[in-house]
Amino acid sequence: MSVTAERSPAASDLELARAAAAGDATAFEKLYEQHHRRVYSLCLRMLGSVGQAEDLTQEVFLQVYRKIGSFRGDSAFTTWLHRLAVNQVLMHFRRRGVKLEHTSDEGDFTNVVETPLQSTRRISMVDRLALERAVGELPPGYRTVFVLHDVEGYEHTEISDMLHVSIGTSKSQLHKARMRLRELLTK
Amino acid sequence: MVCRQDQELISDYIDGSLELGEQAQIERHLADCESCRAVRDDLLQIVHFSHQLPQHAPSGAVWSRIEADVMEERGSWFRTVSWWAWLRTRHFNLSLPQMAATAAAVIIAVSAVVLVSRQDAAQNNAGVIAPRASGIEATPLSNPDFQQLEKQINRLSETVEQRKVEWDPELRSAFERNLLYVDQCLAECRHQLNNNPADDVSQELMLNAYREKVRLLEGFERF
Repeated sequence: MSVTAERSPAASDLELARAAAAGDATAFEKLYEQHHRRVYSLCLRMLGSVGQAEDLTQEVFLQVYRKIGSFRGDSAFTTWLHRLAVNQVLMHFRRRGVKLEHTSDEGDFTNVVETPLQSTRRISMVDRLALERAVGELPPGYRTVFVLHDVEGYEHTEISDMLHVSIGTSKSQLHKARMRLRELLTK
Repeated sequence: MVCRQDQELISDYIDGSLELGEQAQIERHLADCESCRAVRDDLLQIVHFSHQLPQHAPSGAVWSRIEADVMEERGSWFRTVSWWAWLRTRHFNLSLPQMAATAAAVIIAVSAVVLVSRQDAAQNNAGVIAPRASGIEATPLSNPDFQQLEKQINRLSETVEQRKVEWDPELRSAFERNLLYVDQCLAECRHQLNNNPADDVSQELMLNAYREKVRLLEGFERF
């Protein structure tokens, strides 16, 4: 079988990954073209900084290049890639000493009930741009769980494995993140 | 405080991960509590919109940096594969006359290379050394893209020549091998274009070969 990926859009991720593993630079570039936006968006949302997100995207694809030979196709390439991207971001946090556990300065929501919203205001409360901005203002711990669960679609069991926290902590962080977003969006 | 306890369950409620008993409990509470209904509605909107956030693209420099990193790690082999992969995977949409012309062009190019090789050999045997420009031969083409790439190649070649003295033999050999591949391709394209300056396919091949040479030199410039 030829290891060179066809340049047709129909070439699957698995075919491209195999070709890239065999040294086909075109296939590697194609994988980048197909997936760089999602990887970069993940990095950007988790880090909140364009410069850092670009650095991490670069690091993620360098890791892809190094490890592509170990991708056997047991899972979807996107699953493998995004897990790799999340791991890179988490390693980045650890290197920089960013705490992902809940800390007291990450807010409390005892007063939430006392400031109910008007229904008309609620209806237009969220738009994507405002939400995007508000996610960037979340503390790292909340932001990480929120992005992983609500944006990327990971389950709490997966998040607890990734972050080495209990499922209860993951759920609690998510709820607090959503409540903080609500607060930020109704300012 | 009752509301606070219930609100802590609202996220699980909207994610559908509550036990039946807890679900019934929170539904009873929501029926009576406007504030908690407001929280539920807001969180539902947040969750809904978070699934639809747009994707962003990094700047083009990111791919250039990745390429440079890969080059640094892998040396020249990756580039060689890239070049040949490009040739192998390139899809040309040629009409029948164009295909015939291309086939003829390939035959002429091969014949020209053989002929030139024999002439060179004959000249060398006679003790005559043909004058050669350093780096890349001057192209008869006036395409500004070619001229610009040639200038870039000459500049990069000078830097690489300076760096080469510090390379280990393996790296030097890898570089020479790759340079030879690209230069051979350039030579073939150049001969072909000398015969037929309007040959689009050869022009495109040559342009890509020039770009490949630039990338090769840029990659090795860092060592």
